[in-house]
Amino acid sequence: MPKLPKWLREVGWRAVVGALLLGGIIHILATMAVPMASSGHAFARMHDSLPLNRMVVLPPPAPGKQPLPFLAPDALYAICRYDISVDLLLVTAPMARAGWTLSLHTPQGDNFYVMPAQETRRGTVSLTLVPSTERLGEFAATPRRVSAQETQVASPSWEGLVIVRAPIKGLAWRAETEAALSRASCTPVRRS
Amino acid sequence: MIEAGTRLSTRTSGPWTTWSAAGRPDADPYTRAHTVRNGLLPLASTLEITYQAKADSRGGRLHSGCEYTIVMENLGGIWWSLAAFDGQGGLIPNAAERYAFNSANAMREPDGRAIITLARDARPGNWLPIGGSRVNLVLTVQDPAWAAAVYEGSIKDLPPIQRLACR
Repeated sequence: MPKLPKWLREVGWRAVVGALLLGGIIHILATMAVPMASSGHAFARMHDSLPLNRMVVLPPPAPGKQPLPFLAPDALYAICRYDISVDLLLVTAPMARAGWTLSLHTPQGDNFYVMPAQETRRGTVSLTLVPSTERLGEFAATPRRVSAQETQVASPSWEGLVIVRAPIKGLAWRAETEAALSRASCTPVRRS
Repeated sequence: MIEAGTRLSTRTSGPWTTWSAAGRPDADPYTRAHTVRNGLLPLASTLEITYQAKADSRGGRLHSGCEYTIVMENLGGIWWSLAAFDGQGGLIPNAAERYAFNSANAMREPDGRAIITLARDARPGNWLPIGGSRVNLVLTVQDPAWAAAVYEGSIKDLPPIQRLACR
């Protein structure tokens, strides 16, 4: 049986267990810190190329011109970078065909709301993006009064992305899809 | 654990792997770290599941020097999309400017199946060009019932990736 080095024989079992526990804690903390500490996340990558509170239809994905890795290339995208720390945001998007989606994301990539187009529910979707109640607690202004018909979605963060994804049925439909997608909009709304 | 995932954070079916809580606000720390570190922006897996494959059904690394076929069937009316990327998630340049097929634009056989062929050179039917060296495939399935089942741990049957020939 191989003989252990002297220094190793002097290490007590308590030290081994302690080192394993410490390693585990560091591992967990490092993993949980990645969403906050990483600068390569999707929001940071697109931040500078997107105007604030305005919907932009991106060019069709092409080699070397993708906004994000592994982004579905058989779709067109309209994206709005929002900040609702001052005004609320009215989002309007057409849901023209199956596969179309309207989604809302935090800077950390959490998709806190998604609305898919369905065979039985097409047309234009409209919603108002408001701060969550926790956020409003930090904010002095009162929330905006809304009608019963209006859909409000609470954002867990002041900033984020609104994305409308429109799958391209084929090259012949690209212009029609672009035209429909260009009707998507983001409009700041004053708190009242 | 952040790059490849574990049994707790991913589900595997043949060569396909998905992060079952991707995009969800209540996702586990590993899934969140994976999403952020790779610059991904997935839809919540309450609606849509995104699978990725780096190997064929026999375990060989997907490579542009080989030809593969994938038969899309048994998906009913579910919206799906199959896209080819290089090893870093970039699109593969090709003269046809074709990077993906989906349930709306893939040509169907008389029995409803869609047969997709991945090859460097043109092939008849649904030809998805591949090039460079390593290839990653991404299969997206949009169906809340499917997504819920996968999140709960159910393993769905996914189309195999059959290698036909290599140069």
